[in-house]
Amino acid sequence: MSGPDAALVLERVSRWYGNVVAVNDVSFSLGPGITGLLGPNGAGKTTILHMLAGLLRPSAGRVSVGGQVAWRNPAVYRSVGLVPEREAVHAFLTGRAFVEMAARLQRLPDPRAAAARAITTVDLEGAADRPVGTYSKGMRQRVKIAGALVHEPPILLLDEPFNGMDPRQRLHMIGLLRTMAEAGRAILFSSHILEEVERLADGVLVIHAGRLAASGDFREIRRLMTDRPHTFVVRSSDDRRLAAAFMTEAAVFGTELRDGRLTVRVAEFGGFTRAVARVARGASVSLFEVAPTDDSLESVFAYLVSRR
Amino acid sequence: MTIFGEIAQITLRALLGRRRTLLMLLLAAIPILVGLLVRANARPGPVDVGAFLDAIVIRVVLPLVALVFGTAALGSELEDGTAVHVLTKPIRRSTIVLAKITVAGTLTAALLVPSTIVAGMLIAGLLNTRPGSDPITATFAIGLGVLVGSYLYAAIFVALSIVTSRGLLVGLGYALIWEGILAGLLPGSQVFSVREYVRGIAETLEPSSIESIVGSSAVAYAAIALVTASVIASLRLAVYEVRGGE
Repeated sequence: MSGPDAALVLERVSRWYGNVVAVNDVSFSLGPGITGLLGPNGAGKTTILHMLAGLLRPSAGRVSVGGQVAWRNPAVYRSVGLVPEREAVHAFLTGRAFVEMAARLQRLPDPRAAAARAITTVDLEGAADRPVGTYSKGMRQRVKIAGALVHEPPILLLDEPFNGMDPRQRLHMIGLLRTMAEAGRAILFSSHILEEVERLADGVLVIHAGRLAASGDFREIRRLMTDRPHTFVVRSSDDRRLAAAFMTEAAVFGTELRDGRLTVRVAEFGGFTRAVARVARGASVSLFEVAPTDDSLESVFAYLVSRR
Repeated sequence: MTIFGEIAQITLRALLGRRRTLLMLLLAAIPILVGLLVRANARPGPVDVGAFLDAIVIRVVLPLVALVFGTAALGSELEDGTAVHVLTKPIRRSTIVLAKITVAGTLTAALLVPSTIVAGMLIAGLLNTRPGSDPITATFAIGLGVLVGSYLYAAIFVALSIVTSRGLLVGLGYALIWEGILAGLLPGSQVFSVREYVRGIAETLEPSSIESIVGSSAVAYAAIALVTASVIASLRLAVYEVRGGE
């Protein structure tokens, strides 16, 4: 999305700390809906969220939120809620006192009622009158979310919001964020977990080493992630014969036999997995094991960056 | 409650942690304890209330207590991340800064003005105080100087805690090295010393209480320093960048 409807806009934004480039020439614009900011730890996700939240100055480029410049503009917080990754909340405050404080600082007409609504929304009524210091990690996460959405902002930024939540709380939070997105809010959340983003996000921004590696619809990103060169380790009844048979396949561009292991380099995941059984059968070889070797998220991100 | 009141209230609760409160109470009790010792061991001869309060309160206890409250009021919250919940609200940065200075200054004054007056009274109660001086008026004059000094130090230390993450260390350097050593050696440098302003205010109110280099100009210097520190703190907070980014 671009133009006046875009709630969150980065235009050729970079951010560096001394000689270290944390975010490198990133551009995107997002409208209502849920977008996942996906990348490994240290990729630059928090830096991007902090720049959108006006807590960091971009070294280059322009960041705007709801049509306003985010940096040095406290007025922007009327329409933005931020859930930071750090757990820090004053331990002596009860959950309710923390959310009511957020409501009063937002100058809401009825802070008590707004806080009660937000606490109900995050399913924290039972613990609302206990000090935050006694909360579990997941409860702290939820009370921060209640504080961020107490003024019902049209834009919500969440940094690793699922950290510390148990599966039930995750499901509840996914449902809550979906409901908020359906009401027309723009929600951007960061995560280093592919499955989290897949379950929740409509769109994805993939960040690796400070650069935007991919962006768009999740299915398209998923296809890019799977249809890339892979390396498989194969164990069979006759590795040498199987290696020769693989080399006749278009999807395979290299095989190697070393230390009793057959390694196969393939052009794309799907083509090889469809062909492997047929090739083995044709060569009269029994397959014992077929395992991808480089399916870490890090290698996926590195590949996505290299192809841009 | 106003936004100012809301921030002041949360700051007050955060500053009154058990260990910190106990430590500050102990520091504030030092002038009284020393006053009791002096009274118990009083020998014939003049006892100078001004010199006593200057040595114990103005030189040592006041900057230390203000340093702890001033750097913790905002600096600790910036450091541990709790400040983000206030910084991401539509609030003027000057409001945040003024609330922090007010609370840190008030806590410092609430501990040290009574301590100064009680300690001064203990000394003033001795029969053999310095001839020609009015020890009770001198005590109250120094108490008022300490009151102003509490807010002034608080403003400087709040500003320092925004400018540098090592506010406590830099503040200690200011109090010990600048005010304690250099300001005594470099002529003219006393005009940049809060300690001199405190002494000057006391001297202006009661000339026999204490001697200062800045004299009655102390009030103007103190006002300028207070406004300057508050403005610098507000401007720096407006461009404060959170730590902890990737």
